[in-house]
Amino acid sequence: MAINQNDSELERKLKHYRMSSLEYKKACELVGHPLQGIEWSLFSALWSEHCSYKSSKVHLRKFYNKNARVLEAEGENAGVVDLGGGERVVFKMESHNHPSFIEPYQGAATGVGGILRDIFTMGARPIALADYLCFGDPKAPRMESLVDGVVRGIGGYGNCVGVPTVTGQTHFHSSYNNNILVNAMAVGLLRPGEKVALSKAKGPGYWVVYVGAKTGKDGVHGASMASESFDADSEKKKPNVQIGDPYFEKLLIESCLEVIQKDLVVSIQDMGAAGLTSSSFEMASKGQVGMELHLDKVPLRDSSITPEEILLSESQERMLMVVEPHQFKAVEAVFAHWGLDAAVIGTVLEERKVRLIWKSEVLVELDPDLLVEQAPRYERPFVPWKWKNQLSPKLEKNNLSALKYRWGTPDQASRHFITRQYDQRVGLKTVQDCEFPVALMRLPDSERGLGMAVGCRPEVMRLDAKLGAFDSIAYPALQMAAQGIETIAITDCLNFGNPEKIEIMSEFVASVEAISEMAQALDAPVVSGNVSFYNETLGQNITSTPATGLVGLRPTISNLKSSTFLTPMAWAGSKSPLSQDRSSESQEFIEDVYLISLPMIQHSDLWEDASPVWSGEWDTSRVVEFIRNTRTLALRSEVGGLRVVGSQGIMTSLMRMSLDGMGFLGEDLSRWETQPGLFYQLIVTGHRLSTVIKESYSSSLQVEVLKLGVTQKEFFTVGQRSIAVSELKLTFEKAWGKHFENLA
Amino acid sequence: MSPTNIRSDHQQKNPSNRSGNSSAKTSRSKVGVIRFPGTNCDRDVFEALEMVGLNPEWLWHLDRFEAKKYAALILPGGFSFGDYLRAGALASRSPVMDSVREAAQYGMPILGICNGFQILCESHLLPGALVKNASLRFQDQWVNLRLVNSHRSFGATLQPGASLALPIAHGEGRFYTPLDELKRLWDAQQIWFTYSENPNGSLQDIAGVMNKEKNVVALMPHPERAMQAWMGSEDGRIIFETLLG
Repeated sequence: MAINQNDSELERKLKHYRMSSLEYKKACELVGHPLQGIEWSLFSALWSEHCSYKSSKVHLRKFYNKNARVLEAEGENAGVVDLGGGERVVFKMESHNHPSFIEPYQGAATGVGGILRDIFTMGARPIALADYLCFGDPKAPRMESLVDGVVRGIGGYGNCVGVPTVTGQTHFHSSYNNNILVNAMAVGLLRPGEKVALSKAKGPGYWVVYVGAKTGKDGVHGASMASESFDADSEKKKPNVQIGDPYFEKLLIESCLEVIQKDLVVSIQDMGAAGLTSSSFEMASKGQVGMELHLDKVPLRDSSITPEEILLSESQERMLMVVEPHQFKAVEAVFAHWGLDAAVIGTVLEERKVRLIWKSEVLVELDPDLLVEQAPRYERPFVPWKWKNQLSPKLEKNNLSALKYRWGTPDQASRHFITRQYDQRVGLKTVQDCEFPVALMRLPDSERGLGMAVGCRPEVMRLDAKLGAFDSIAYPALQMAAQGIETIAITDCLNFGNPEKIEIMSEFVASVEAISEMAQALDAPVVSGNVSFYNETLGQNITSTPATGLVGLRPTISNLKSSTFLTPMAWAGSKSPLSQDRSSESQEFIEDVYLISLPMIQHSDLWEDASPVWSGEWDTSRVVEFIRNTRTLALRSEVGGLRVVGSQGIMTSLMRMSLDGMGFLGEDLSRWETQPGLFYQLIVTGHRLSTVIKESYSSSLQVEVLKLGVTQKEFFTVGQRSIAVSELKLTFEKAWGKHFENLA
Repeated sequence: MSPTNIRSDHQQKNPSNRSGNSSAKTSRSKVGVIRFPGTNCDRDVFEALEMVGLNPEWLWHLDRFEAKKYAALILPGGFSFGDYLRAGALASRSPVMDSVREAAQYGMPILGICNGFQILCESHLLPGALVKNASLRFQDQWVNLRLVNSHRSFGATLQPGASLALPIAHGEGRFYTPLDELKRLWDAQQIWFTYSENPNGSLQDIAGVMNKEKNVVALMPHPERAMQAWMGSEDGRIIFETLLG
């Protein structure tokens, strides 16, 4: 086809709309003429990486994403998983990296707002949030203010809407100096009898209804911004960042849940990336119908806004619904009760065309599939994975450096500065909050526990991306198992650099394969997720970081296991001062401390070694059996506590277990200070557990069990060395302020 | 500070499974729970009241109601009207507050929790004001409280000196009032609770106060979040339970 536009004019437009010339050609062929007017904006937005997943989709299709529990997965706003007994969990994880780096408070806040809308748009009340944050070196420029802003943003939004933030992780590494990661997971609950709402439009003649905040100019082109690498000019992108209002979101949660549960809506979707454009085209495409939209009927905050800006605005807290005309009055009444307007802005068409109208002029008429289903799919070049930094078995003895235990470093410093800014209890379901390695929520109808964890250890990703991706499921699943929780489903947030670079794409493909393999072996499907590419600034890519979110079930919320050494008071059963007199004066609370090891992967110090190495063979089925057996052990009543050993080894883990005030007494553990690290190890406490442990692990795993010592009051003692537990705690608590002087 | 490592097997069946015994619920146990747009602890308070066998009923910010229908009123926490202007300032001007003022005059027991406390101060039903925490940040943590003066309805059986473990979750919970007023509050036995360890810079560790007539009362910590052992503490129950008389 002849594309008769002036070359330099075309080039200017391609640059402005962030499209490649190939994509432009494809778009022109699909519509049958050179792109004109508003078509440019539509293709630019919906074909952006952010909306179309054009570089990742061919790989994401490989995910293990179905089993009998999965009610909704790919294609909906979030995954829906059956918990049995009518209870269902709806959850998803999403990134808001680029906006958070430009404007940390609003970037993080709107990230939380967006992921919550994905949950309640499906009819589920959000019951919990989790965050996964990666910051640069604490001394890097702006880092203190980025940490401050992001944490305030997450808290500011989550606290106000009344959804508790119950777990999370924060990592620090220089690879994130110019591109921080802000990922959030939201978890919602559908109680027995409650309805799931879907996004596919249907019913020609039904009305298209706009609800929520009015549309302004904020966030126009946000989606395509998030699909680009940063350069020195990223500061100029501030106007592309959206502004959130959690108060409005709270009203929207209550009103949307009410209309969904009263069965007043046919379908519903939030206006997220690319705003009204993506929600309308996607709803129509999924429902195989068309839509006529009158843009001049969209409630506006700013009368000078153009139709193009209306289409692309990413103003927050807005939803699009399809409603049967006779139900509209009832819908309007619900929204009016909550002080919100509902505006009819169009109708569903049988003909598969989205027709956009501005003051009775048809601006454009397009088959929604051209923008959604026909979006480009790229098979970006990659190479099959070869293990990195793996030593041959012969070399391993001499070349694996010993682990140094670390205390008071940014990764071994208290996170109270962060977690105390989050409301962790609103909603009355929190059993285990941010103080624990994984969260546990009480399911109100069955009184079972719903476990939640986030995962991905960037230090393991830097060692080997595929090993790190296996570990991004295995490690949190093991942490869940140590609390007696069976992982049943997974979401992910794949944060990578520039996919057009072969080494990044190779890490991406290897990660998808590893996550899928683990998911299948655990029978925990990947039911939702998000990809964030172009986490690259001035040519420097971040550590590839496939963050994961796991949910799981625990049969009850009683007989919980501690992740620290039990204090006499905790042993006695309650911390309430009213019942302190119940605490035992006997020595029963002294427990034995054991180490359980799975001999599989050994690694050198991942923190100080300039080029860390590892040895051994990854074996997914062995890891999964170890996880399952650990859960069996964790549910035994004889066991008092369990903790998974982190990448910094046993000493650090023992010290972490002493932070509640009960210490440790062990023989000389210098052996552990001269040895490399091991995936995977557990510390277990209780009385005379040797038999219980043996019974729990299948003999083919050949786990090694060792008694390390016993718990004791007040002191942490290893051989000749001893330190007061209170001092350990003080160093741990104060370390944060040492690294972040203005955030203490 | 967080009550970690709860090992209690003590599990109480959640009585909110609205089964039967509704005949036992008389107007004596009927408690009005006042919701504003942005209130977010409303459902929690509702559930907590049901757990102890009370009979909660919703009141919306636009409602006017007849005080005699209720044994007590509760203003739960949250972010009424998004905390715009000042926490509690807009809610205090809502129509429902006219009825709350009448009920207060009539002597009805009224409890404000967190944002409810802020609203009652903004409504001049309670003395003082709640300003930004000394940390200038939102704070979520467990605190120990000490009862200074017993209240005749909420937690009525607690004696002075009694200690409770409850969680706080607020950004503006620092109690403030001019010093001469403060002295008057102590003298008139209007201080309800103090913090054992001051988390937010409240004047003289004050966590809860009463009005002169001792029927309107409020605290910053959340008793509804400490109703069952699995929540970390059961110390909040007594605040509601004593309404049963």
